[in-house]
Amino acid sequence: MKKKLFAVLLAASMVLGLTACGAKDAPASNAGTTKTETTTEQSSASEEAAPAIDTSEHVKITYMFTGSKPEGAAMDRFMEMNDKLNEILTEKCNAELEFYWIGWTDYLSVYNMTIAAMDGSIDLIGTASDWLDAWPNAKNGAFLELSEDMLKTYAPQTWASVPAENWELCKYDGEIYLIPEDNYAQWTNHGFIYRADWAEKAGLANGVHSWEDMTKYFEYTTANADALGIKQAWDSDGTQNTQLASGWVASHTNFVPIDGICSSALWGGTKDDLYTVVTPAYTDTDMMVEYAKMMKSWNDMGVWKKDVLNNTTSTNRDDFRVGLVAADQHHTQTWTDLCSPTPSNKIYQDDPNAKAGFFYFGEETKNVVALSITHGAMAISAASKNPERALMVYDLLRNDEACYRLINYGIEGVSYEIDENGYRINPEGYNPDTDNVGGATSWWWGRNDNLELRSADRAWDQIEALYDEYDKIKINYPYGQFIPNCDSIQGKIDNCNEQFGNYMKQISFGLYTGTAEDIVAEMQAALKAAGIEDVTAELQAQIDALYK
Amino acid sequence: MAKKKDLDLASSSAKVKLGVSDIVIRTFGYILTTFYALACIFPFLIILGSSFTSESYLNRYGVQLIPHEFTLEAYKAVTKSGLIWKSYILTIAITAVGTLIGLSIIAMTGYALQRRDFPFRNVISFYIYFTSLFAAGLAPYYLLMTQTYKLKDSYLAVLLPLLMSPWLIILMKNFVKSIPHEITESGKIDGAGDMRIFVSLILPMLKPALATIGLFMALGYWNEWYQSSLFLSSRVDVKPLQYMLYETVNSTEALKQTVAGQYITVTDIPSNTVKMATAMLATGPIVLLYPFVQRYFISGITVGAVKG
Amino acid sequence: MGKRNKTAASAAPVAKKKNFFQLLWKYRTLTLMCIPAIVFFFMFSYMPMPGIWVAFVKYNYRKGIFGSKFVGLQNFEFLAQSGKLWSLTKNTILYNIAFILLGNLLAVFMAILLNEMASKIFKKTAQTMMFLPYFISHVLVGVLVFNFLNYDTGFVNTILVKMGLERWQPYADPHVWPVLLVIIYLWQQTGYSSVVYFASIMGIDGEIIEAARVDGANAFQKIRYIILPCLKPTVVILLLFALGGIVKGNFGLFYNIIGTNSMLYDTTDIIETFVYRATMTDFNFSTASAVGLYQSLIGFFIVMVVNFVVKKIEPDYSLF
Repeated sequence: MKKKLFAVLLAASMVLGLTACGAKDAPASNAGTTKTETTTEQSSASEEAAPAIDTSEHVKITYMFTGSKPEGAAMDRFMEMNDKLNEILTEKCNAELEFYWIGWTDYLSVYNMTIAAMDGSIDLIGTASDWLDAWPNAKNGAFLELSEDMLKTYAPQTWASVPAENWELCKYDGEIYLIPEDNYAQWTNHGFIYRADWAEKAGLANGVHSWEDMTKYFEYTTANADALGIKQAWDSDGTQNTQLASGWVASHTNFVPIDGICSSALWGGTKDDLYTVVTPAYTDTDMMVEYAKMMKSWNDMGVWKKDVLNNTTSTNRDDFRVGLVAADQHHTQTWTDLCSPTPSNKIYQDDPNAKAGFFYFGEETKNVVALSITHGAMAISAASKNPERALMVYDLLRNDEACYRLINYGIEGVSYEIDENGYRINPEGYNPDTDNVGGATSWWWGRNDNLELRSADRAWDQIEALYDEYDKIKINYPYGQFIPNCDSIQGKIDNCNEQFGNYMKQISFGLYTGTAEDIVAEMQAALKAAGIEDVTAELQAQIDALYK
Repeated sequence: MAKKKDLDLASSSAKVKLGVSDIVIRTFGYILTTFYALACIFPFLIILGSSFTSESYLNRYGVQLIPHEFTLEAYKAVTKSGLIWKSYILTIAITAVGTLIGLSIIAMTGYALQRRDFPFRNVISFYIYFTSLFAAGLAPYYLLMTQTYKLKDSYLAVLLPLLMSPWLIILMKNFVKSIPHEITESGKIDGAGDMRIFVSLILPMLKPALATIGLFMALGYWNEWYQSSLFLSSRVDVKPLQYMLYETVNSTEALKQTVAGQYITVTDIPSNTVKMATAMLATGPIVLLYPFVQRYFISGITVGAVKG
Repeated sequence: MGKRNKTAASAAPVAKKKNFFQLLWKYRTLTLMCIPAIVFFFMFSYMPMPGIWVAFVKYNYRKGIFGSKFVGLQNFEFLAQSGKLWSLTKNTILYNIAFILLGNLLAVFMAILLNEMASKIFKKTAQTMMFLPYFISHVLVGVLVFNFLNYDTGFVNTILVKMGLERWQPYADPHVWPVLLVIIYLWQQTGYSSVVYFASIMGIDGEIIEAARVDGANAFQKIRYIILPCLKPTVVILLLFALGGIVKGNFGLFYNIIGTNSMLYDTTDIIETFVYRATMTDFNFSTASAVGLYQSLIGFFIVMVVNFVVKKIEPDYSLF
């Protein structure tokens, strides 16, 4: 009975995947073909494995993740979804799911401490190698080793859908610790979101495609602030300092940063030579001096507030939505929201000509790296009492259409409806305060393009155009297997990160006194004193050992 | 000790001539105090005014003393879920219980430790004081509370650690010291045990001390958010007031400052006016505690009861 | 009536052990009165102490603190290698000295002044108002200060412009902040701190004051010869107590006002804010513990030395 169910599920999801794909890009159909090939092996494997699964005991699986817990009426709605989901989970593997939120306040410490408590109260842990310390936690013994057998037996669909080379990238010391969200189109490369209609007025008929273009755009918007009705060209809060620097480097070199070492991405390789560690932000003096000069000119223009570094109350993104600022700095995913005619983006309601363009860092040099597959990943707590059942629940949440829709969108008819084109729309009487159930589950570690339902209010034609452009020039993240052992150099890394950040706060916002050459020289001296060259040497040695 | 003088209270309080020095000090005092007091209340009024200002106006022009575009939106948003009223009750309960228990223990301990004849007082004093010098740090403390005491998600994790502190005990000890030893002596002569002496003779004289320390403890409980942030997870629905405020104000900061902010697109940012409104609601009642406690700050100890 | 071995002065060494238990019995009530406190500190302060070991290991969650690998002083390297250790410690200590000295001075001053006021209503209202800043969380203080001092729309600059003067940009000038931060701290803390001294003054025997008045003392003399000496023990003890925490900074205040404005770090960065920034990017139990241990050791040393000295001069004022 069970093997039939699996086979049916597989078939159903394949069919669904193929139909919903439509004009989708290559990766999805690749996943489809891999599935057909492994199906036959899969069903034979499950024939032997199935009888061994014992689901006689009803267990509760706790899923821990970062997000805000709904309150009041929103919570009631949420529980409706939770109950329905539990019905299905109970039927299929005699388990129920409990959601455990880690609020955004101090989230990193609370998240890490909850994991460290190791008291058996959590099972599934949503994690990420680039922003949720996935590898440090794995190294510290927080996550359970997931053997091939375990995955094959308890999460067979997921096991089959992730290609072998991707599983390799989830290993540390030969053991798998993470289940990657590798079948979901997502781009989190950074850039500037700007008003394409205003850029046209500024003389940039084709939009902004370089830092020089951006300068021209800012010149226009600062000079015509009152006419355009904006309060500030870009009301930054000062936190994008290292992001801007990384963007400049991407736009002037083909540097590929190594994720997870430090937040300012100082170390990496180049597209031509991936395995020689370089630090262009430190070594390329001319490039950095040019950067400092340009940023000073932006500061003099008045792009941001004078006290930008303490401007913590700024609400730039929301201001962009209503046309009070001319630009926002964030990633592609944010742009897909801001460029779409959603209810909160009032600019499209007020002005039919309004259009939001995206100047991505690296556009000039065609330097774009695809997202690491462990940007969103699921791990199992080493102290979990029911790891096998947790895997089964995950498998269903990721691959079973009913479960997938519940956890990502809510209950059909209440939180969403599907229109005739297969897009998601808001039903009659939808209340955004209480009915946005999908937003409260933070299911960012198991999304699946095969089961995704696109939202109707997004500007898909623009989005897909950009995705296509990326696909033509991107390279896959090349350092997935490289998990550096930083114990001996951690102190130096932290100090380099600190120094770089401190200088970038002044340089990226043009707030330094003196000449650009002086401040860059000062920064280089400070980085050298902090030990940047030692770290480079150490990382090089480790890369050599791994890749050469 | 001052010699007992023949004091006719009635006549002494009647016409006491104010010397020049008194007038000088008083005038000076009135001016300075008024100035300082105004400086203290001014920012408070700004927060109050801003909480009634519209969000768009606030973002454009900064905080306001006088509300522009008057609106109750912020307050509506904060009280929408009704959680804040439950939070009030919780915080008041924890404050009351904690203060009562803690104060009793601190008073007892303070009294015992200042008794010159108590041979263990130096050892115990050092034992208590040492803990303020050396803290084990967050990690061992957290693990102890969650793994050994199993206090995660329990309100006891907020109540217990704040019951006393070395500073309060030392302060109490100091207050009790100013009560003349003769009182204890006379009690002993009358045959009373230490506890009886403490409760019947000493406590009534400690009113200012009890008021002060009680006030500090109550404030400590009311303002506490740190223990809540460590031990009360999202499983706990009702959290203490200051932690609610802290969460409201800080959640977006966290995202902006860290790597996560680079990846996550948050659409649900609490507005600045909501922060102001939450601050007002979280602070409100406790401000009234001080005037209430003030009447215990009575002067004078009835030395007259002791015959030299 | 007294017990046979009541004077401890000439206790025979032979009977030492017996003396202890007999003493214990004799003072059993007082000891019992201390027991709750003793238990409390044992549970919440002494029990975690062995965990200080985490500063010397590479903490592994499964192995626990004592099973993890010993790495000696590696966790202290981060602080040492930053080259900033001296300037951070210096900043922390200097700010604390300013806070403690000026804070107590102002608190005593305000308490004495308030005591002189005749109008009860004035006293009550003034004190309540003075209390208010203490309640404003540091986060809001940061917001208020920014609104006050920022270059573009700040309150101060609006006034300067109206008076025809040049704008002032404090957020780009590290030199003004030591003064500004001390002022902000005093503004927030004085009301609260003065309560202790006010209560102490209240506790002064009213008869002494009356006697002095009858004797013809004026207000200044009254303050100088009666009130101040009575406050002295309290001041000394509070100062001594504060010494123990001299290397521990007031994180909330600094972090929320200065934030991540690196231009101001030279004069405003303290140990806690530095470690916090590091922890945000690299969460590490062991490093944080190592720093805490460093701070505790220094504070401990300072207090032991000063208490020893104070005990020699005036044993009544020592902490223990």
